[in-house]
Amino acid sequence: MNHTLKDYRIGCLLLAALAMLVLFIYPSKLQKSPTYNYTFIIDITRSMNATDYQQDNQAVSRLNFVKQTLRELLQKLPCESKVGLGLFTERRSTLLFEPLEVCSAYTEIDTAISKVDWRMAWAADSNIAKGLLSTLDMLKKSDSSVIFITDGQEAPPVNPSYQADFSSIKGQVKGMIIGVGGFQAVPIPKFDSQGKQTGFYTQDDVPHRSSFGQSNLDPSQIKGYNARNAPFGSEAATGSEHLTALHETYLEKLGAESGLAYARLTDLQNLNQALKNPKLAIEKVVQTDIRWQPALLALLLLSLVYLPRLYKFRPLFRS
Amino acid sequence: MNLAVDTPWILSGLLLALLPLFNSGMRASPAPWLTLMPADTLSVFIVCCLRLCAMVAIAGLVLGMAGLHRTEQSRERIGHGAHIVLLLDRSSSMDNSFAGRAPNGSEESKSTAARRLLTDFVKQRQNDLIGVAEYSTSPLFVMPLTENKNAVQAAIAATATPARGFTHVSKGLGMAISFFEQQPVTGSRIVLLVSDGAAAIDHDSELKLREWFRKQQVRLYWIFLRTANSPGIFDQPEDSRDDNAGAMPELYLHKFFLGLGSPYQAYEAESPDALKQAIADINRLENLPMHYVERIPKQDLSTVCYSVAAFLLLALLGAKFCEIKR
Repeated sequence: MNHTLKDYRIGCLLLAALAMLVLFIYPSKLQKSPTYNYTFIIDITRSMNATDYQQDNQAVSRLNFVKQTLRELLQKLPCESKVGLGLFTERRSTLLFEPLEVCSAYTEIDTAISKVDWRMAWAADSNIAKGLLSTLDMLKKSDSSVIFITDGQEAPPVNPSYQADFSSIKGQVKGMIIGVGGFQAVPIPKFDSQGKQTGFYTQDDVPHRSSFGQSNLDPSQIKGYNARNAPFGSEAATGSEHLTALHETYLEKLGAESGLAYARLTDLQNLNQALKNPKLAIEKVVQTDIRWQPALLALLLLSLVYLPRLYKFRPLFRS
Repeated sequence: MNLAVDTPWILSGLLLALLPLFNSGMRASPAPWLTLMPADTLSVFIVCCLRLCAMVAIAGLVLGMAGLHRTEQSRERIGHGAHIVLLLDRSSSMDNSFAGRAPNGSEESKSTAARRLLTDFVKQRQNDLIGVAEYSTSPLFVMPLTENKNAVQAAIAATATPARGFTHVSKGLGMAISFFEQQPVTGSRIVLLVSDGAAAIDHDSELKLREWFRKQQVRLYWIFLRTANSPGIFDQPEDSRDDNAGAMPELYLHKFFLGLGSPYQAYEAESPDALKQAIADINRLENLPMHYVERIPKQDLSTVCYSVAAFLLLALLGAKFCEIKR
């Protein structure tokens, strides 16, 4: 037998060359990988200014925390995923832009998210159930998943007799409700027209009950009730609506009614995990580069050829 | 060159490229006494070459696996174009037709017409940087100045969703001008205001807007989508009692714009065709020479790495077959 072929090095080099051949013939394979299409609808009502998140040991407002987390999330989304952005206030939302591919439009999406401001609100009420309903209605034709980000603080509180009815829309839209805020009630900052904080909302600043339509209570129970002039009675309503906390059970209830999942925002990891919900993923077949596999094999074989000899032990192997 | 890799930790494999320094990779032939062998420059040279080949081959494989690429480059070029901020009115009346009715099957709403024509407009302006701002009661930042036309189209398409609120034009203008901050002054800077109504601007805002327009050298185009039987921007009041900003906001806004001192052009469009004409005009006029940045996308170099490695590997293999055994 040829002496050359007995050398292990030649075997290694031949195999390495073979591996390189494979590398150039099969550079990639088709692989299913999940991509996502989200339309983030961010609540920009006043209660979102409440500062009950911590970031780098500093208290940040819910809105800023949401913005920061979304911007970080943007970097984690796989290419071919799409992100759209909308804002919610009053009882409707507005769509700023339709979903855009994250890798090609990263800067644009990132800048747009960073510019979201509570002062973009076109009205001051916060009727979340109606807002969610109209948002879902607006986006039911799109194939994007609606991610509705809110703290669940209805202002003024909803009269139980006039609740939004989700039955017409249930199950037609994919999506999630993301609850923001802490469970401890905190005051809502108040700003002047120049955007400077001038304190907090006090008990007298906000309505503590809805005075729309008819009361849901039995008229005989309401003090000073007059069907035409005082359907809610004569007493001033008191309550703690000037403080805000995450209304988690309420949001869970809305989620169940509208067929959306619910998750609470605590940090980037938890949001990322919640949004990776397989129900929201779209399987896309993409070309995956697998050249590293034969290249690694060739590398190992080549290294084997040049591995330093163990001179010390050589005499042992020679007879 | 600006080289970069996708997975930096793989670069630690470059240490393997040092292996050929310690081992020639060749079979040792026994010789009775090495000193007997004459020094041969050519042999030394060939051995060095082979070791170098091996080192480069290993490095090539490692760099290929790490995903070596040239990062996105930009090249400054001079072309014709403009920086344009589209300032779109999202007030509820935009969802009505030019006749002031809710649109039926045969006529389109003002916002639909505006959307259709703006989409075409953006398609034609290839070199421009285009940003989008909207306003109703409050200004909305939608899309920064960008050359990504898909992003601008997505923002324009999103105006198909229902509009809301009132017309608060001064805040919208302020927002639109703010887009030009920290942007180089090159080519023309345009705010293209598309609205169907006007509002009185308070004194403070007037002062600020005047200053900002002058400072940022912004040219203003106002496409006023006039609804039938509503006051236009060129109408003069019939009754002197109506001659105030509250009663005739369109006229007064027009007067304010004329007094800005920066180039200003108003178009009163009463139908989609007139709107088309206005956009064609802008297209024709605003083509000043402009520095713009052309992006050269990221270039993958891993194929080059693998090719070099494969070639050297074959060379080494060839050398191996040249070895002789005595």
